Parts: sequence; C-alpha cells; structure tokens
Amino acid sequence: MKNPFLDFQSVPCRKKEIPLERIVRARKEIMDRLSEGYLRLVEEEVKDLVWLVEHSHVVRTYSAAVSAIQDLQYDQDDIEEFCAELDNANAFPYMISGPAGIYLSALINNAAEEHILLRLSEYERTFHFLGYRLPEGKTLVLQGNLGDFIGAGLCGGRLMVEGTAGNWCGAGMTGGEILVTGYTGQKTGEWMRGGEIHVDGPIGGFGRARFGGKIYQRGKLVVPHESE
Amino acid sequence: MSRDLDEILKQVWPRVRKKHLFPELPNPEMGGGESSVGLDIRAKKIFISREFVSEMSPALDTEKVIEGLLDHAVSHYLSCPWDFATHLKLYAKAKDVLKNKDMALKATDYFMDVVADTHCVSRKDTPIPKIYGSAKKGGALDEAIHALYQRIWGLDLGVKGYEEISRKLSRIPYLDRNTWQESIRRFSKAVKFLLEMEEDLGGTDGQSPMGSHSLQQYSSQELEEGLKDLALEVGTPYEFKKIVQDFEDEILQATQAGGEAMGLGPGQGLDADTIYYMKLAENYLLPIRKLPMEKSGSLYPHHHTPWEVGKPYQEIDPWTSFGKIMPGITQTWQRFEGEVFGKGEGTPDCIILIDSSGSMTDPKQHLSHAVLGAGCASDAYLRNDAQVAVYNFSDARSGGQKILSYSRSRKMIYRTLCHYFGGGTRLLVEKIDGLQTDKVPDIFLITDMQITNLENLIQYFNDCKNRVTAVHIGDNKHVKNFRSAMALRKNVEIYAVEKKEDIPRIVLGKVKDYLYSPGS
Repeated sequence: MKNPFLDFQSVPCRKKEIPLERIVRARKEIMDRLSEGYLRLVEEEVKDLVWLVEHSHVVRTYSAAVSAIQDLQYDQDDIEEFCAELDNANAFPYMISGPAGIYLSALINNAAEEHILLRLSEYERTFHFLGYRLPEGKTLVLQGNLGDFIGAGLCGGRLMVEGTAGNWCGAGMTGGEILVTGYTGQKTGEWMRGGEIHVDGPIGGFGRARFGGKIYQRGKLVVPHESE
Repeated sequence: MSRDLDEILKQVWPRVRKKHLFPELPNPEMGGGESSVGLDIRAKKIFISREFVSEMSPALDTEKVIEGLLDHAVSHYLSCPWDFATHLKLYAKAKDVLKNKDMALKATDYFMDVVADTHCVSRKDTPIPKIYGSAKKGGALDEAIHALYQRIWGLDLGVKGYEEISRKLSRIPYLDRNTWQESIRRFSKAVKFLLEMEEDLGGTDGQSPMGSHSLQQYSSQELEEGLKDLALEVGTPYEFKKIVQDFEDEILQATQAGGEAMGLGPGQGLDADTIYYMKLAENYLLPIRKLPMEKSGSLYPHHHTPWEVGKPYQEIDPWTSFGKIMPGITQTWQRFEGEVFGKGEGTPDCIILIDSSGSMTDPKQHLSHAVLGAGCASDAYLRNDAQVAVYNFSDARSGGQKILSYSRSRKMIYRTLCHYFGGGTRLLVEKIDGLQTDKVPDIFLITDMQITNLENLIQYFNDCKNRVTAVHIGDNKHVKNFRSAMALRKNVEIYAVEKKEDIPRIVLGKVKDYLYSPGS
C-alpha cells in the first residue's frame, strides 16, 4: 500500500535562523533590562509618595539611575524605543514624570554615541528633565514640545530643542549651550551659573536667582541686561 | 513565449503548493497587468504578470521568478495578513500614525510584505530574495525596505545607504503575530518621513514589485466575517466608521454580488454606522425554535412497562407478552400526552419601539445598547421568517419620529434603528396602533423610560393584547412608575440594562421564553 504521507517527506521544513531573530532577541534583552532598571528606580521613588523637585532629591535620583544602568550596552535606538515604551501607558504601572526624564538623561549621558537625536513630537506624554547634566562633548537634539527643567544642571553639553521647552529651562546649568527654536516658559535660567541659552521664540520669564551665564533671545543678549 | 509561461506555471505551482503544505488556493493564472508589478490577487486567485516575468527573465530564470512570486502570494495567504479583519486592523494602526489614507495603505502593504516574505525566507527555500535583488526599485521607501531585507535576511540585495532607517526597522519583531499591532505602529512611525517625502515629490503611487494588496483579494464572505470581527473588537461605532469608510468603494464593489446579505447594494453609499450594529449583532446569535409545541390532550402509547396484578387489562400488548397473562412477563403500554403545533403557528411579527431622544446614547458616536438590543431582537424575528416594524421616536409631536412599516429588509430596519433625533421624548400611541395587525404582533420597547407621556403608553399597554418586552436603560423614578403600573400585566415583561453585556443576554432570554415551549 502506498504511504499517503510520502509526499510530505521531501518537503523542506527546517527553520533557518535569519539575522532578524538575533536582532530582535538582543533588542528585547536590552529593553527588558532598561525597563527593569526604570521600575526599580521608580519603586524606590514612590515610597516617598510625593516626588519633590529638590536639588538633593534630583541628585540622588540621578545617581540611582546611573547605577541602575551600569554595565548595560545600549545605543540611541534603544533610548528612542524606551521613550516610546514610557509613552505607552500600559507598559509601566507607575507614571512619574520626574524620574522618567532623569532616567532618560542618565541613559543619554552614559550612551556611547556623542550625538543623539530623539524624536518626541508624536508622543502624548510630556517629558521633563531631559538633558539633565548633559556633559561636555555630547550633543543632544530633541524634537517636539517638552516639559519643565529641560537642560537643568547642564554641564558642558550642547542641547538643541526643535520645539518648545517648559518652565525652568536650563535651571542650575554650569556650562554648555541650550538652543530652543520655540518658546521657553517661566524661570528660564533660574540658578544658572554658566553657559548660554538661546531662544528663538518668546521667553515666559527669567529666573531671579542667577549666578552667571547668558540668555539670548533671537540672537540678542537679554540676560544679563546691560544695566545689571 | 506566452504558452511557455503557462506551461512553466503549471509545472511550478504543484511544487510551490507542496512546499507550503498544500494551501487551499485555486490554480494561479498568467495575466496581463503592469510590467512593474508581478502579482495581482483577486478573490484568492493569483494572477502573475507576463510582462513582469518577461522583464525579469534576462536577470533571473523564468521558473525562479514564477516560483518566487507564487511563494510571496501564498505567504500572504498563510501568514500575513491571513484575513480581512487583520488587514483592516493593521491599516487602522498605520492610519493612526500617518493620518493619511494613501500613506497608511502603502505602509500597510509594505509591512505585510515584510512579514510574509520574512516568514517565507526563514522557513522555506525560496527565490524571493533573488527577485528583490533583480527587480527595479520603486522609490526611496522601496529602497529602504530593500535595505531592511538585506539587514534582516543577511543577504546582499545590492542596496546602498538607508543605514539608519533599516537599522530602526530591523528591530521590529515581524514574525511575532501577537505584536503586529504595535509593530505596524512602530513601522509606520519609522517610514513616515519617507512617505511624506514621496508625497511631496508627486504622490505615493510607486509600489512594491510584488504589487499592492487591494480588498479585491478577499471573497465577499471573508469581507463579511472580517467586518463582524472588527465590529466586536473596536470600542465604538466611531472607530469602526473611521476604519471602514476609507474602503467604502472597495467594500461596495467587492460585496455587490453579495447584495442584501451585508445590507448593501449597488448605487447606495456605505452606511458604516448601520453596518457596525448589523455586524455586532451577528455576534450575539439567538437560537429560536420556529414552531412552539402545545400539549394535544390525547394520549398515545409511548413505551412498555411490565404488567402487575391490579393494572388494567386493556393496556396489555399481546404481541410482546408471548400470549401469557403473568406478572413480569406480560407487557403493558405506558401512554403519554402528545404534542402538536399550536394555533399561532410560526413566530409573530414584531413592532420595535426605540427611544432616540437626547437622554439616549448617540449610536453614531458611542455604542448604543438600545440599538444593539433592538438589533438583536429584530434579527431573532427575521431569522424566524417574521416581519419587523420600527417606530423610532424622540419628540414625536414636533416631527421627531421615524416609522418603518413591516419589512424583512435588515438594512432598512437597522437604518431606522440607527437614526438618532436627540430631542425630547414623547411618543404617539396612535402610531403604534397603526402598526397593529390581526395577527397580534409582539412589541419590543427599549428606552430609558424618561417619556413625557409615559402614562399614555402605560394605558396603551394595559389595553393591548400583545406580548410586550420592555427594556429600560438605567434606573430612574419613571422606571419605578412603569414597573408598578405593569406589575399585574402578564403579557408585559420588563428588563433592566446596567451594562453592555446585559442587552443581548436579556433579549436572548426574553425571546427564548416567547418562542420556546415551556420546559423545552
């Protein structure tokens, strides 16, 4: 009797490993580790119930973020994808804007690339604290309208915002350059110690406590004022 | 040459079928078409462009070209999009990101191509990469997709550049079906700038060498099933409309042969709201027995029991008792009462009274439980060969009413049910009276009971002989009034609806009570 399954025997059905599978696997591992680090950070932060923007608190959170991502190999694509994960409300149980921005800043500052571009314009979530402590030699380009404390504590890096920035833009920066094509909010340059902020649009208000640095509006120096 | 191609196709097709484990597809044919596009699929039948094959022949063996094109087409059938509903859902995600029909269509086409081809390349020996390597590139996006193939298949297709975009695209898990919705969102986001660039340079007409994916590739039955699944999955009629209205022409064209089944017909626009409720109601099918049985009053011999002393002799069955009168051996007939069809044979017609006043949900914006419930009820009657009349009321005195006399047209019934007035709530009982017939139809009322002249309706229900099912959405003092006024009426049943799942369940239960005999 003829074996009815004979026809199937010669069908090649061995699965070949193509590079896609390797790429996707590696990407998933990194994203899992990034998410894990972020969740650990946020779980630590939510213990205080209220997340206050205090200098010491921000510094502590940043240090915790840096230690969470130690030994992690990632690149700009991973950071951009992690932004998308943060934007996805279902991905994380806690949504605290401050630590999210600080964690992203830690990722950016410790990335191998010197030039990083993040396209944030289509996200529903507003990101705060991006560009925090951006070090010298790094250029960060942010596309989209951003939240508060953009470029806070900037220390020598170059931050370009293709959009708008919220309040306290460049707060406490010690060096480097911030360029904003749109407007900035209240208290721009508060506690500023050095560096330059260039704004092409309107400026909502300047910080009163400033210890150095310069703010330009449409190429014209506005802070410190000639009378100061 | 033409005859040769037909013969080659006849030789190659069984091989391709075998390779893909014999998919249920009709025999493909060589067809005309453009030289830039290799394939056209209509109602599952694959047509291969002679011009394309001829043009590719100098660079690649003809058999390989045909085999590659068939592999591609079969992969679409076997892996992505698989069915019409998946195709629409992928398109909807792309449209969310791109906000433009043409761009979303193109992104969906490319995404499905990447999934289907990668699926095939990773599991079968296929000449698909050779076709991509030899075919003319369509434009910037097409080149970027070729660069992506190079990266994810690990082959050289002769494309230079597009490093960043191909790197971003290569991170998407195309082979994971569970994440396709998120994957196409990321895919669309990544290729958006290329699509915009192409549009700025004169439109998005350029397409993949394998061809685009029109809805004509699906049979009308697949379209119907797909719309049904989609209606169940999307949250609101608005979302459904947003997706479906983009394909108005294609769906009308594809379903013209189907005609009334879908509630569509030639020369009429596609009413997405109506289709949404029609398709959603199909997910809550009601099994109804056509003819209710009644006890006939006469007894008939049903089965044997052993005869015992004292039992009447006239019930003895001599044929099974071996001619003996002896307990344990002699058998008697046990008689049962028979069942026959009752007087009111079949299912009565139904008058549906639906409230579309301002206090009710607008069925075009949100899921209206009233319309869904009324739709389920009307479907139940229609399936049982009955007719349905609809009285859609808001402020009836100032023209806020729509009446459909007895009809079996599902499309007309749903159109009337979906009409939303959004005004006050006042109905005219004389209009209900005008729909009464000698056969005493059932009445199905669905409202929030905030009817200005509720006492008139109560009075009418007290006088009428119809069986009435009243469904109220939410709870208020008018509901209490109505309930207390109808408490003694045996022909009126009242149900409350608190959440979405309640309506089909209640309608099912109610109609079941009516149309099934008790205890059956």
